[in-house]
Amino acid sequence: MNQRAFLSMLLLLSAHLLAAQNPSRVSIKGIVADTSGAEISFATVMLLVPEDSTLINFTRSNDKGEFEFKNVKNNDYLLKVSYIGYLPLQQFVPASADRENDLGTLGIKQISTELMEVVVKTAKATLSIRGDTIEYDASSFKVPPGSTVEDLLRRLPGIEVDADGNIKAQGQDVKRVYVDGKTFFGSDPKAATKNLGAETLSKVQVYNEKSEQARLTGVEDGKKEKAMNLELKEEYKKGSFGKVTAAVGDQQRWAGRGNYNRFNEKEQLSFIGYGNNINQTGVNWEDYGEFKGQNSFNDFDNGDFGFSSGGRYYYFSSEDTPLNNFDGRGFTDNYGGGVNYNFDNKKAKFNASYFYNETTLDLDQYSYRQSFVGDNSFYTADTTGKLDFRGNHSINTRFEKDLDSNNVLIVKANARFSKSNGDYMQSQLFSQDDLTPTNSLSVDNGNNMDSWRLNSAAIFRHRFKKKGRSFAASAAYNNSQSNGMEDLFTINRFFQANTFTEQVRQQMNDNENDSWQAKSSLLYTEPLSKKWFWETFYNFSKAGNQVDRQVADPENNGQRIDSLSIFYDNEILYNRVGSSIRYSNEGMNVMLGMAAQKLDLLGKYARDPDAPLITEPIDRTFTNWTPHFSFDYEFVNNMWLSAEYGYSVQEPRFNDLQPVPNVNNPAYRTEGNPELGPERSHSLGLNFNMWNPASMSSIGFGSDFDIYDSQIVYNQTIEVIDSVGIRTTTRPENVSGGNRFNTYLWSNFPIVKTKLTMSVNGNLNFGTTPAFVNGVENETDNKGYGMRMRFNFTPDTKLIIGLSGRINFNNISYSIQQEQNQKIQNHSLDASVKWQFASKFFFESNFNYSIYRNDRFDFDRDIPIWNASIRRLLGKQNRIEIRLACFDLLDRRLSITQSGTQNYVIRNIAPTLARYFMLSATYNLRGYEDKLSKNNWW
Amino acid sequence: MKKLFAALLFMLPLFLCAQEMEGSIRYLVTHNWTKKMAAVDYISKQQRERIAYMWGNRSEWKVYTVLYFSATQSRYEDSEERAEPDDEGYSWRKDVYNIKRDFESNTIQDAIQLLGKTYVIEDTLIAPEWKILNDIKEVAGHVCMKAFLEDTLKQQKITAWFALDMPLSAGPERLCGLPGLILEVDVNDGAMLISADKIDLRKLDKELNMPKKLKGKRIKEAEYYALLKKHIEDRRKAEEPAFWGMRY
Repeated sequence: MNQRAFLSMLLLLSAHLLAAQNPSRVSIKGIVADTSGAEISFATVMLLVPEDSTLINFTRSNDKGEFEFKNVKNNDYLLKVSYIGYLPLQQFVPASADRENDLGTLGIKQISTELMEVVVKTAKATLSIRGDTIEYDASSFKVPPGSTVEDLLRRLPGIEVDADGNIKAQGQDVKRVYVDGKTFFGSDPKAATKNLGAETLSKVQVYNEKSEQARLTGVEDGKKEKAMNLELKEEYKKGSFGKVTAAVGDQQRWAGRGNYNRFNEKEQLSFIGYGNNINQTGVNWEDYGEFKGQNSFNDFDNGDFGFSSGGRYYYFSSEDTPLNNFDGRGFTDNYGGGVNYNFDNKKAKFNASYFYNETTLDLDQYSYRQSFVGDNSFYTADTTGKLDFRGNHSINTRFEKDLDSNNVLIVKANARFSKSNGDYMQSQLFSQDDLTPTNSLSVDNGNNMDSWRLNSAAIFRHRFKKKGRSFAASAAYNNSQSNGMEDLFTINRFFQANTFTEQVRQQMNDNENDSWQAKSSLLYTEPLSKKWFWETFYNFSKAGNQVDRQVADPENNGQRIDSLSIFYDNEILYNRVGSSIRYSNEGMNVMLGMAAQKLDLLGKYARDPDAPLITEPIDRTFTNWTPHFSFDYEFVNNMWLSAEYGYSVQEPRFNDLQPVPNVNNPAYRTEGNPELGPERSHSLGLNFNMWNPASMSSIGFGSDFDIYDSQIVYNQTIEVIDSVGIRTTTRPENVSGGNRFNTYLWSNFPIVKTKLTMSVNGNLNFGTTPAFVNGVENETDNKGYGMRMRFNFTPDTKLIIGLSGRINFNNISYSIQQEQNQKIQNHSLDASVKWQFASKFFFESNFNYSIYRNDRFDFDRDIPIWNASIRRLLGKQNRIEIRLACFDLLDRRLSITQSGTQNYVIRNIAPTLARYFMLSATYNLRGYEDKLSKNNWW
Repeated sequence: MKKLFAALLFMLPLFLCAQEMEGSIRYLVTHNWTKKMAAVDYISKQQRERIAYMWGNRSEWKVYTVLYFSATQSRYEDSEERAEPDDEGYSWRKDVYNIKRDFESNTIQDAIQLLGKTYVIEDTLIAPEWKILNDIKEVAGHVCMKAFLEDTLKQQKITAWFALDMPLSAGPERLCGLPGLILEVDVNDGAMLISADKIDLRKLDKELNMPKKLKGKRIKEAEYYALLKKHIEDRRKAEEPAFWGMRY
């Protein structure tokens, strides 16, 4: 035992001995009075622990100002007296030697009226009492924007500022002004108060300081001078973050990307840029979210009012998002970049962003297609080579303003300018049932197109005084124009017996397209009671489309090919009025509504804008009643059930109405149908979800059912034409009898809580599509079954293992050629591991084995893909990340898709980026976490 | 000075009838989702910053709660009134939350839904260990004093403002035990802000009574804390916010 410890033991012991003489319980009493001696009744008197102010007991003084704590433990206390308008009094009360500890009269001082009235009542600022000084939050005092500290000081009680800016506090001159305790630009106290903005200030402190003389000489002269300290606001919301990555690989693979964000309380400014040749066609969701910042999601952005079940929806601002959307086929070169600015001062929000992105796609694809006609079928084997360039400039702006607490206005405008061009080479081989080739078609097409698009909308919402009554109105104008040229060249070779003939076709298309839409909607909500609401809406839309397609024959001096040229001018007028009744109470939300809608279609067709009409204008009107019903119910224990029924009527697309065919490829002729009616369907949905927060498990079930009264399908006519070979003509037509049924089930649950979780989901879908092939009805039945199972194993914080399997069957059966029924299978198995094997070292790998099978064609293809990477964080704040990655170690990546509809089955195979190695370095201002993250939902 | 005296004189009758003081307080509760996330220390700093950056200005929602109080009792529950002007129409089911305090018999009776189950906590009232601070401000027309409490279980830093002129120990949520009625509570720097916005002094009828038939498992307060503790630890391991499935 060292000396010090011994000494403290001794002290403790003596303290204990002293205390032992005291009684164990005492009464503490006193009288509360003001400085003039008048007793104060009803003051709050508290006994606190001196060390940390913990409340032990409290009482009130009686009408004579007396208070007493009876029979409390005899300890040291801090006695605190507080009373409205008075400074709280704190007095140390040591443990008492007597059973009764009478503290006598405790005088409390009044807080000046000015402080009470101006600071507490008017400015609603908090008064903090530190000994004899009183501090308060200067930022609670409202001064006009742009005011200086001097302007603010004029408003503070106890402080005077004269015309020259000289400051007096409590009647005395303030000799020095400090900013955050430091001298601000020399000794002139006015320098700080005249130059600093009031909004930068958090606190103003006035205190007494030794005179300059005393501070210099160190000799106390007893003089005190007033000094002021201005404490600046801690701008905790101000900052910046960003990161930049450079990566190089073998085979001249490279990638670069970076983003930088600056922000303060009101503004966010961000920059982003990328470039690569590794098939990242855009930015990832995480970077994009940070790029858009507060403007990523917006509520009330939909101005197309209709049936609603109430509640608030957030809309992801999806206009022209440059998100990565590579479909897995081919090779791409990508560049892009943009800037985004957000402003938000709680009353107004403004956002503007600009983005440019471009992608050049180099694609080779092999397709194998079997088509059935009557009792026969034929085969098409395609080899396609495509080089496509697409570049977009897009500008998005959004403005939201709370005009006052009851009126909100949202104005949005988005514009996009695009340029695209491409070369398309295709060679098709047509064969008959016995696989003897009939003809081959070589296509060499070139195209380029310029287009722009403008979308704009304004939404206004008003809330009436009566709670729940509201009105909303919206107006929108959209316009898009494109101008494109296509240069088409085809050679058709026919193999017949021992001869073969050849036919060459050339065609130049000049396409001009102009579409516009003006629309407006109104919505009125009236509360009938606390639980019943009545909603009425009206939608109006007028849309037009002008298409001028002039097809010329370059072989014949550019003479127009009349049969393929068309100019058309379509207009659709849409009016809908609807009304619904809603009931909402205690988790039950029911809506029943009905709308009447009218569609007026007007179409004019001519060879060119100046030529007379080919046919009488198509003038058609469709009137429909569309009912709607929805039901949502939340059960007591995190269970939700919802059901919805709706009837929808969708007008045909302009493209499907044109009376002149499109024959870019002579083997595929696309016809329009001026007589086409709208698509009408019933849809029914049912959903059930359950979540058990205690076991951390959830289960869900859902199903949707669509039945078409009238479905737009593309009927086919397949014929053998002398100069063409096998030609397929499609024409949109209305048929009934189609339906779709889809149901799914999913569940997540822990097997070992927080360590091993399992998720299962399964889906089942059936669909019937009726279509006519050469006038014979062929019903295609699709039956799909899928199931996915996943295990997530996190034995400790340094290891995450995932294992999942997926099976998918798609059975297609045909009503006219049942021997062609298909069974397509796509299965896969996936294993992944994330392992932090040392501090700042991570290993990540995943292995995927996919099986593609179609028994009818003896097609069986397995593709294993293995990726692995190792990364290391560097630097004190982990700002640098070095990563070595290998994508597709086995060099087997290939894109395979299999599908079947109507009267054909198709399989596409496209090579894409296979094995490559990449070394990348990232510098991240915010630093990386030296840890594996279990969840990454945001 | 005269003004102050006038104000004090005006308040005098209020003090005198304090023993019979009875009525209700409507609190406006402002939840801030990103600030709640900011207080979850086991989710990475990067993720929390990201949430605040993307959602910071749109993460608030408001509800009303109501406290009925008399000199000896209080009862607190969610209000039927909707505070968000824009969510007319859709009704969520409210979790069971009914908090009863009896300061005379020193008992509590709380019906609380936790993790999907309803529990009825019946136990003696033990006031938390408040620390009294030296700050004063006005809330809903009453001068209040600051008190502080750290909830180590829920990891919450709670600042409460109690009225110096309303000598009752009641308060919102499960908070009580101060020398005055609690009129404002700030949890975790604005993650949840409870502020009295309407104080109505009137004779109460049956508002102080708990529903006659209270469904739910009867437990003691210690058992309730044990349930909370287990849940919070589970969520910490799963790196998910603990406030999912329980009242903040």
